Amino acid sequence: MTGRSIKSAFEAMMFTWGEPLEAKTAGEVLNISEKEALDYFRELMDEYEQENRGIRIRQINKSFQFVTQEDNSEYIERLCTPVKKRKLSQSALEVLAIVAYKQPVTRGTIESVRGIKCDRVIEGLVSKELIEEKGRSAGIGRPILYGTTDNFLKHFGFSSLKELPEIEDIEDIIEEPEYDEDGITVNQVSMSDMPEV
Amino acid sequence: MGYKVKLNIFEGPFDLLVYLIESARMSIYDIKVSEITEQYMRYISEMEQMDVELSSEFMVLAAQLIEIKSKMLLPRAGTDGEETLGDDPRTELMERLLEYKKFKNISEMLAAGERRAARIYEKPQEDISRYTDEPDEYLKLGINEFVNAFDLFLEKKKKLAEIRERYVRIERQKISAETKMDQIRGLFETDRNRALPFDELVADKKDRYDIALSFSSLLEMIRQQRLTAEQQALFGEILVKATDKLDEEPRTEENGEQEKTDTEGETA
Repeated sequence: MTGRSIKSAFEAMMFTWGEPLEAKTAGEVLNISEKEALDYFRELMDEYEQENRGIRIRQINKSFQFVTQEDNSEYIERLCTPVKKRKLSQSALEVLAIVAYKQPVTRGTIESVRGIKCDRVIEGLVSKELIEEKGRSAGIGRPILYGTTDNFLKHFGFSSLKELPEIEDIEDIIEEPEYDEDGITVNQVSMSDMPEV
Repeated sequence: MGYKVKLNIFEGPFDLLVYLIESARMSIYDIKVSEITEQYMRYISEMEQMDVELSSEFMVLAAQLIEIKSKMLLPRAGTDGEETLGDDPRTELMERLLEYKKFKNISEMLAAGERRAARIYEKPQEDISRYTDEPDEYLKLGINEFVNAFDLFLEKKKKLAEIRERYVRIERQKISAETKMDQIRGLFETDRNRALPFDELVADKKDRYDIALSFSSLLEMIRQQRLTAEQQALFGEILVKATDKLDEEPRTEENGEQEKTDTEGETA
């Protein structure tokens, strides 16, 4: 099978599948290794990008999926009005931030960082499938350990946890607080320094 | 009883404290505890005056701040007059605030990611059952079963064609049923006094439908007193004769079909 026809087959499979398609599964269909499949998927991804297509391929860990190009969101929203969009609350985002960088992490750790109870927020994030139980800690009471899900990656536009910006980069920003005359705080400064995701 | 409103402005005591420190343009590394404690306490009492329910964690931090503040008042110098480093009562709070601040920043980074990712649309899992379910059923069929199924299909088709043929014929004769009586009348046109055996009223003697139709037409015409009929013996020959009312059209019928017969009679 030529590379061209493998990529063509992957396109057809992704189209039919809808959900993220694992490179391993797709590879098995064509009798090629996961590694080869991953390479072809990435090539395909690049091709869609270079050709500036309205449909792009999104990677979530080792799975791939057709999604719309983000600049087309306006047209999709006009086509499918009203589009339901719920943004996460500030507390949910804070808990997610702690889980994402400290996983696997217990509720106790999350609460001690935030200085406030988080049981409800954690429950909500579990039911939204943004975090999940990853096991139990060996500590007293064997508390549940939480980690992020593939849905978390999707929701925040990461292809894998490796794409999360280095925690040190964020700390650097805090260590050099810069205030301008209007008293704009570290938060805004860090926003502009945000790594492209 | 007033309303209890939970405001989501500050996500916790640290959130509030960080906000106060930053608004006062203070560094987390050098918190002016007495100033911040005062602001913190003022905020809490304001919230209480407005009957806003603050979680107990806010009180815990208030207590900690007061504790740190009082420790700050105590001389930190040892007996020999040397200041001992690392004894700063603010250290723990500073570390916790820095840790919190770090994750607050990450959460803002995530919020930006969320805003961007929300513009990307995906399709849900496709329903592929139509590709996966049906082929199994076909594949389970052997060649004989397939032949049988095909025969069944042909037979069904044949039956259907037969039914359709009969249906069409009935349709045609239904139309003639309305004119049948007219035909019978025609038979008596040349000689009003003749007696015709029933057989002569039937055009196609092999067609059971035609026999039945002729018979019912005959009965109808007898009812209308346009014809009379006699049968000498059981299963014997029926002789049909015309009366002087043969040409009279039954005008008083309330039935639609009969009225239709009328109009046809008029045009004929």
